[in-house]
Amino acid sequence: MSLPGYIYKMLENVVGPENISDSPHILAAYRHFSPQAVHRPVSPAAVILPGSTEEVQNLIRICNRYHIKYIPEVSLFGMSAVAFPDTVIINLRRMNRILEINEVDRYAVIEPGVRHVQLKPEVLKRGLNYPTASVGPSCSVLANFVASGDHHVQHSFSRVSRYLLGIEWVLPTGEILRVGSPALGAGWFCADGPGPALRGLVRGWNGWGGGLGIVTRIAIGLDAWKGPPTLPVEGHSPQYQIRLPRECHRVHIFKFPSLDRVRDAMLEIGKAEIGFAVLKFFYATEAVLYTESANDFWELWNSGLYQKELPQALWVYLATWTPEEMEYEERVLSDIIRETGGEPVEESIRKKYEENMDFFIMVSFLQRTLKLGGGWSPTKLGGDSVHHMFEVAKSIPEFLSEFIDKGLILNAPHNFQIIPMEYGHMAHIELLYFYDRTAPDRRKVQMDISQKSLETDIRHGFHAATPAHGRAMMEKYGPLWSNFHLWAAKIRAAFNPQEISNPTS
Amino acid sequence: MSMPEDIADFKKVLASIVKPENILDDAVHLEKYSRDCSFVAGSRPLLLVYPETGDEVKRIVIWAGETGIPLVPVSSGPPHFHGDTVPSQSGIVVDFSKMRRILKIDPINRYARVEPGVTYAELVPEVRKHGLRLNLPLLPRDSKSVVTSRLEREPVLIPKYQYDYTDPLLTLEVVYGTGDVFRTGSASGPGDLDHLKSDMVNPWGPGSVDYYRFLTGAQGTMGLVTWATIKTEVLPSLQKLFFIPVTDAVGFPPLLAALLRQRVVDECLVLNNVNLAAILAENWPEDYLELKKSLPPWTVITCVAGYQRYPEERVAIQEKYLLNICRSLNLREQLDLPAAGIRGSTVLELLSGSWKKKTYWKQCFKGACHDIFFLAPLSRVADFINLVQKIAARLRYPEEDIGCYIQPMVQGRGCHCEFNLFCDESNPDEVAKVKRLFMETSEVLIQNGAFFSRPYGPWAEMVFSRYTEGVIALKKLKNIFDPHEILNPGKLCF
Amino acid sequence: METLKDYLYTMESCNSCGQCRFILGPLSKGKDYVEVCPIYSRFLFESYSGQGLINIAQEILEGTLGYEEGLLEHIYSCTTCGACDINCKSVRDMEVMDTILALRAKCVEDGYGPLPAHKKYSSLVEKEHNIYGKDHDQRFDWLPEGTLTTNSDTVYFAGCTTSYLYPEIGINTVRLLQASDIKFDVLSAGEYCCGAPLWRTGQMAAAEKLVRHNLDMMKKRGIKTLVTSCAECYGTFKGLYPRIEELSFEVLHITELLRRSLQKGQLQFTNRLSMKATYHDPCLLGRLSELYIPWKGEIKAFGYHDPPKKFRRGTYGVYAAPREILKAIPGIELVEMTRRAENAFCCGGGGGVPDAFPELSLWIASERLGEAASTGAEAIISACPFCKSSFEKAIIAKQNPLHYYDITELIARAI
Repeated sequence: MSLPGYIYKMLENVVGPENISDSPHILAAYRHFSPQAVHRPVSPAAVILPGSTEEVQNLIRICNRYHIKYIPEVSLFGMSAVAFPDTVIINLRRMNRILEINEVDRYAVIEPGVRHVQLKPEVLKRGLNYPTASVGPSCSVLANFVASGDHHVQHSFSRVSRYLLGIEWVLPTGEILRVGSPALGAGWFCADGPGPALRGLVRGWNGWGGGLGIVTRIAIGLDAWKGPPTLPVEGHSPQYQIRLPRECHRVHIFKFPSLDRVRDAMLEIGKAEIGFAVLKFFYATEAVLYTESANDFWELWNSGLYQKELPQALWVYLATWTPEEMEYEERVLSDIIRETGGEPVEESIRKKYEENMDFFIMVSFLQRTLKLGGGWSPTKLGGDSVHHMFEVAKSIPEFLSEFIDKGLILNAPHNFQIIPMEYGHMAHIELLYFYDRTAPDRRKVQMDISQKSLETDIRHGFHAATPAHGRAMMEKYGPLWSNFHLWAAKIRAAFNPQEISNPTS
Repeated sequence: MSMPEDIADFKKVLASIVKPENILDDAVHLEKYSRDCSFVAGSRPLLLVYPETGDEVKRIVIWAGETGIPLVPVSSGPPHFHGDTVPSQSGIVVDFSKMRRILKIDPINRYARVEPGVTYAELVPEVRKHGLRLNLPLLPRDSKSVVTSRLEREPVLIPKYQYDYTDPLLTLEVVYGTGDVFRTGSASGPGDLDHLKSDMVNPWGPGSVDYYRFLTGAQGTMGLVTWATIKTEVLPSLQKLFFIPVTDAVGFPPLLAALLRQRVVDECLVLNNVNLAAILAENWPEDYLELKKSLPPWTVITCVAGYQRYPEERVAIQEKYLLNICRSLNLREQLDLPAAGIRGSTVLELLSGSWKKKTYWKQCFKGACHDIFFLAPLSRVADFINLVQKIAARLRYPEEDIGCYIQPMVQGRGCHCEFNLFCDESNPDEVAKVKRLFMETSEVLIQNGAFFSRPYGPWAEMVFSRYTEGVIALKKLKNIFDPHEILNPGKLCF
Repeated sequence: METLKDYLYTMESCNSCGQCRFILGPLSKGKDYVEVCPIYSRFLFESYSGQGLINIAQEILEGTLGYEEGLLEHIYSCTTCGACDINCKSVRDMEVMDTILALRAKCVEDGYGPLPAHKKYSSLVEKEHNIYGKDHDQRFDWLPEGTLTTNSDTVYFAGCTTSYLYPEIGINTVRLLQASDIKFDVLSAGEYCCGAPLWRTGQMAAAEKLVRHNLDMMKKRGIKTLVTSCAECYGTFKGLYPRIEELSFEVLHITELLRRSLQKGQLQFTNRLSMKATYHDPCLLGRLSELYIPWKGEIKAFGYHDPPKKFRRGTYGVYAAPREILKAIPGIELVEMTRRAENAFCCGGGGGVPDAFPELSLWIASERLGEAASTGAEAIISACPFCKSSFEKAIIAKQNPLHYYDITELIARAI
């Protein structure tokens, strides 16, 4: 036990003996070295499960008094990892209430332990929906919203953080701060104000540049859902099928002669304001998602079908209120595709999507990305205009080819996605690559690709990401990004003076 | 207190930063900036400075930091209503009206980048040339700065295009109170503006902090913005405006909720007869009084639109949805308001740009106007209207003289609720009465859960006295971005 | 048979994705009933889960975790229901359940396991060939006279729990076999415990002995078809036995056989049973019931299995047969729980948990009964005597108004 006994006892008095542990076998899951992690996590000193905001506050006060570092977690699939010894994990899974779903004003108030698998069906049955970041059903809704994950339906929605409508936040120093309308007891419908929007501070990214304190409650905006109140699921794992009524839900996938044409089609669809989801998706990831085993993937991948059909393709999911509106949207879409030189991909590919609409709803099989042994890594993860994102995409082979040629990663140079937001006003880009996690140098591969990707962006003047959240990277590259590292450091010093909240190197 | 010889020194130094003709110190000009149309008491500025470039702004700020002289930013032309342009502690007014370049309009990626002095009157026709339009506030005055309007999170007419309360603001360049220049979001880098290839339309970051948000609702206290990127939308090729008369305030929130949930409409707002009459009246006071009588108590104004592809079809589909929703609520949509002699096309034309007449509509009735505005969810709008009416009755203020404007925002998740108290400033009794109504109503509204997200003027004390932890946090930020406290001191909680 | 080190690939592949703890996304109906791992629901720490247990396994194998206080209790708190395994396999090629079972085997091999409450199994089966220590000669005392067809190549395998604790299940089963005109025999004194409790608690030497005996019996008697009404026996025959020797007979649950009879018109329901009921899928009849196919090969780069491996992903569990039968019984209104089929929440009766942690078993069963009640059902039906034991104990202990039925009882009442 690395926590002194009297401190452990104090923490235990807050949450109760059944909600804290420092037993090594209990901590095993929290220090597991995942194949996607670059660095082996340090074992936490203890894991603590508070059940309320007050308990969180009391825990943080103790941590402040005795200089105990802490990081918050819900699911273990996220970004956080213990980097220093004697750090405690404050796991928020007991705080799992859906406090309110307001169907008139269209918001839900939730605690951090609420998962997508819980909230999504509760809102769908009320004819409502919210953007679900692509993390899988077991992950925390609150964590996604605060970190602002990206997702497949950003075209008609936006980035997840746009949907934050109110925040309750325990500061690194232990004060409870409510941001937005909850600050004045005015309800949970606005996260900005009063005055300058403090919510700009609250981003759930870990690392030296982020992760201040613990968010204990948020409100999220809900939009209308055009589908059935419960998802019509057929079959058994892993062969689920979810088909939505075709008269108002259709999926199209088109291939184009060049990335520029994909871009043009994406922009035109945005301008026409049609489509529920539009994206240029990963082609290798698709093959991974839609096969049952690694062997099945290899069979499909080696057939060359996806390399032939999908490197320059656009996925379009149309969802309308009436068949008449569907007819209209399809006519508009058809014109756009014709003008931009697109044609439908092989039907077997398109059919997979229409037979499993979960891809656009909860992405619950996202974890299939891990199928090839667990070695995967996203990079870039930035955003700007649709146009700019496609320029960034064209530069990918400049640095990625080297790794492919050496056999260090899967040969999938076009495995990036570009997802427009707000009908094409901006877009998100993500490059995803697969490496063999059993290879001895796989961590170096991850670090090298990140570095080369960043250097390529810098060389071209491309904004496809900001430097990673470690202090050294931020200080090295911050000057190229308006010296943001200096402001981040000042904010950190002001709000996290003891450096105990989300400490990282 | 600054002595005349100090001011002369200031002028000399500033003349080395800006062109000498861009510094004014005559009493007439200074007096104009010492007050506005709000209840905020101000003091006379020492000088007026009109920078023309971001670099000049930066050097002014550095100088102010060294000397401790407050800076009060002004971007819009008069009349000003919110007290933000009135110096609380004297200082130098930095008027951005000469920084009025439209830096870029991109019709493909649908954005415009402008300096703070660019007004709606200037930008609206320019974007139209590119087949674009702005998501406008209601009838901005000609001299209203686009950047200021966006920074202050003013409500906009088309809720379906708004994804959060800062939308359509994207990225910006700011000079902090330290004199440092910072660019937000995807404008931050890599590299300087000559090297950077991004379109600078991603507002988030850089990194884990959304810096642009600190500058919103800030009345220039966190930094001086030298340009901003704003979303633009496709200009419809076909629009159809509908009036939906409503007798009682409880009648329109369900209508708005249904329309916005289904994303049927573009422009969507509610005006009571007082405000609609004030906006439409040509001859004062005859037209105004007549219109007030003939207009319904509340009018929901909505538009459906078709864009470039099959616009008639789109309009027909949306119109059908609108009709069905109205019928389900026993309401009737109409293209005109015949009893009042109002054509939909007239109102559509009005809503498509800035206020063109010499006297701003709010000032036509009595010369002055004090606005009470706050945010509320749709479900509470009728309650707040009722509350305001009750207070007015208690203070014997004629309800029929209170203008009301309800603007759904952010897909209908919240509403801007605005009550306009017209006032004859030459009548001290009336001023006192309006002031009392203003203050008491504001206090009662806050107590009952109205969210004053922009706590300007007298609201600052009412709001921030209830938000201790927030004030501490805001002051920490202020200490980071304006450690010398030179940016518009005395505003908000600073 | 594989040992723990053979599952290193699984342990190292875990990305902590959380799939092992929660219902597969689109199947969820709302906020409640979304967790599928009973010990995760009960103890809340992430280490109480499929992921947690394989992380522990990895650290034990690597020598970074020792047999410290509380470790064995942690490892044996798992009911081995396999929800984690199947949910993981919905997205990955990993063997979570087998890793957990191999971990238990290692605990036994290292001399630390099993728990005292489980140690008696091996001595009892050694002596009386059943885990209850009852007289082996009385194993088939419940069997009515004249029900058997000697020398039939179909055998009814009753199992210990049916034979000694719930003979009514056996009686109803044979009645149904007769009603369907199916000729069958029993192994009589040749029937030993299937080995499930030993297997699931890591006592592999004792388990293997039982397996070899039963296989020998089957071969000697020339059995082509084994029918059972116990899900544990069913899942053990299909999941454990092929690891030792290829099966020379088909294994069927009584519901599979009766569905065939129903479809052929050999089984007719003449009595009406008015009730609103829900069906609970036993783990070893549902998600863990597919035939185990041994695999020996190499896992190459990017997870490629050479030769290709057939994974048991729970796709073809016995889900439909019981439901079809129940729906065919006049008067039964069948409603479904959220956690159904391959996502069924454990009854709390497996993995040796009732003997080692009776309170935990009770808690798990009560959770499941709560879910059953939430459907509006007045009764919960299943197809396993271990589920019966677990649910009935919980019903009595908590004075639950729900009634438990074994499916054989209802079918027998309906004919």
